[in-house]
Amino acid sequence: METVLSTNKLTKNFGKLCAVNQLDLEVKRGQVFGMLGPNGSGKTTTLGMLMGVVNPSSGSFSWFGEPATHHTRKKIGAVLEHPIFYPYLSGQKNLELNAVIKGADPANIAKVLDTVELTTRKDDKYQTYSLGMKQRLAIASALVSDPIILILDEPTNGLDPMGIAEIREIIKKIAADGKTIILASHLLDEVQKVCTHFAVLKRGNLMHIGPVDDVGKGEEIVEVQAYHDDLSILLQEFNGSASIKKENGLFEVMMKEGFHSKDLNRFLFDKGIVASHLHTRKKSLEKQFLEILADHTNS
Amino acid sequence: MFHLLKIDLKKMTSYRTFWVICGLYFLTLGFTTASGMEILKWLASKGAEFGASININRVPLYHFPDIWQNLIWISGLFKIVLAVMVVISITNEYQYRTLRQNVIDGMSRWEFLQSKILTNVLLSIMSVVMILVIALFTGFIYTPEIEWNYFFVGSEFFVAYFIEVFAFLSFALMLGVLIKRSGLTIVMLMLANMIEAIIKLNIFRSGVEDQIGWLKQFFPLESITNLVPLPFARYAFQEIQDYVALTAVAIAIGWAVLFNYFAYLKLKKSDI
Repeated sequence: METVLSTNKLTKNFGKLCAVNQLDLEVKRGQVFGMLGPNGSGKTTTLGMLMGVVNPSSGSFSWFGEPATHHTRKKIGAVLEHPIFYPYLSGQKNLELNAVIKGADPANIAKVLDTVELTTRKDDKYQTYSLGMKQRLAIASALVSDPIILILDEPTNGLDPMGIAEIREIIKKIAADGKTIILASHLLDEVQKVCTHFAVLKRGNLMHIGPVDDVGKGEEIVEVQAYHDDLSILLQEFNGSASIKKENGLFEVMMKEGFHSKDLNRFLFDKGIVASHLHTRKKSLEKQFLEILADHTNS
Repeated sequence: MFHLLKIDLKKMTSYRTFWVICGLYFLTLGFTTASGMEILKWLASKGAEFGASININRVPLYHFPDIWQNLIWISGLFKIVLAVMVVISITNEYQYRTLRQNVIDGMSRWEFLQSKILTNVLLSIMSVVMILVIALFTGFIYTPEIEWNYFFVGSEFFVAYFIEVFAFLSFALMLGVLIKRSGLTIVMLMLANMIEAIIKLNIFRSGVEDQIGWLKQFFPLESITNLVPLPFARYAFQEIQDYVALTAVAIAIGWAVLFNYFAYLKLKKSDI
């Protein structure tokens, strides 16, 4: 697969503080790449360097296999941190300006306004927009040049649940078009729902990089419920269980490697018990994320 | 190049403050330069009350070719208004962080600065054209007998005027890039002349004035002022400099280039 972005020991120091430390990343075409990390972990600084607004202290990066210039940036649609627009211009005029700078076809404006459902408010001044509308206009501006890559930094920050769902739908729609997306977020749930790959940053250091699908691999957790008084004792006898926890009337059995829910089901059935509830849960990204961060704190 | 100018004008032409300030600038500039004779009449009537008499018809304020330098010197006083507009334009980009978004969208920092410089060029040209038109109108009205041989004597002041306005706007742009906040930048712009005067006063004390006094002309704001010397003393029978000095032009152009270069350096190395 074609490499869209690669960074080589990318570093940024703000005085004594090392915001980004020797970062090596690689993003390939078609990936929806999530950048995770607590606040202040260097996500926005990294994206700022990639978009030419923060000068790297050392290291390098390349877009599409070439050293970056301002012309490369025209092929990238990006929103960093907050939506930024001229408050006294209408949404339409702001997008026209974006289009002129990016050398995009002005005919795209109507299309992207439609994508983010702002067509009816396009002639109102930007300063009259609600936060959700501002975020949506930002996504529209990133899309206006029909970019190959989209960079979104906390696109759902400060939105209500409905706004979050809307933005998520838009991201999915764009990803379905085959665009490469880099999404920085501290909302793990969001990344798990839309991303194919993810990286974890902590205080400027890369902690982990890999596909989201790998998160669930390894041990699984099976929720069990059955009408039997000594279920917990029975479950302990099952040689596939690593640990058992009772929560909300359900037993959560952490499985040893190589054991699956069907093994547990057969075991119970052999004991003459029929489970009324049996549910396999993969490890959530949240859990994995916390583990990754915790691992490195200990080491 | 026009592409970059178009970008900056697109930002400004929907901005009400821009129209208000530019409107005020061109209106006051136009009315002031066009109504010099009325002011003279008023002065004469005041003078008459005190027993003095001025024959205003003996003051060829609006006669070709005097008119060029006279009007241009007066116009130079108004450039501060345009400079404030330039400061607002650049500091807005910092305040709204749109400079950052412009760069993210694919402008280089140099292109961004160029778009601002080109607007400065346009504003300077508009000022020149405005004064040229007013000078022609009022000149034809007030000059009793036009001597075509001397008609264009002193019209090189328009070149000097263009450099004067452009250099000053470049100075304002640089201050905006360095300071980033509009209020503080405007205060600095207002105080700049005074600060330069104080520095000169301390350097050129009476003892050394004779030896190094010639260095004064190299000071940035002084160099801008030197382009068009005050003409009115000639009506009190004093010698004036009624031509544009080439050294003054060279120094002022030098400063204009430096102002824009400093702005570029600052923009290039800062995180935005």
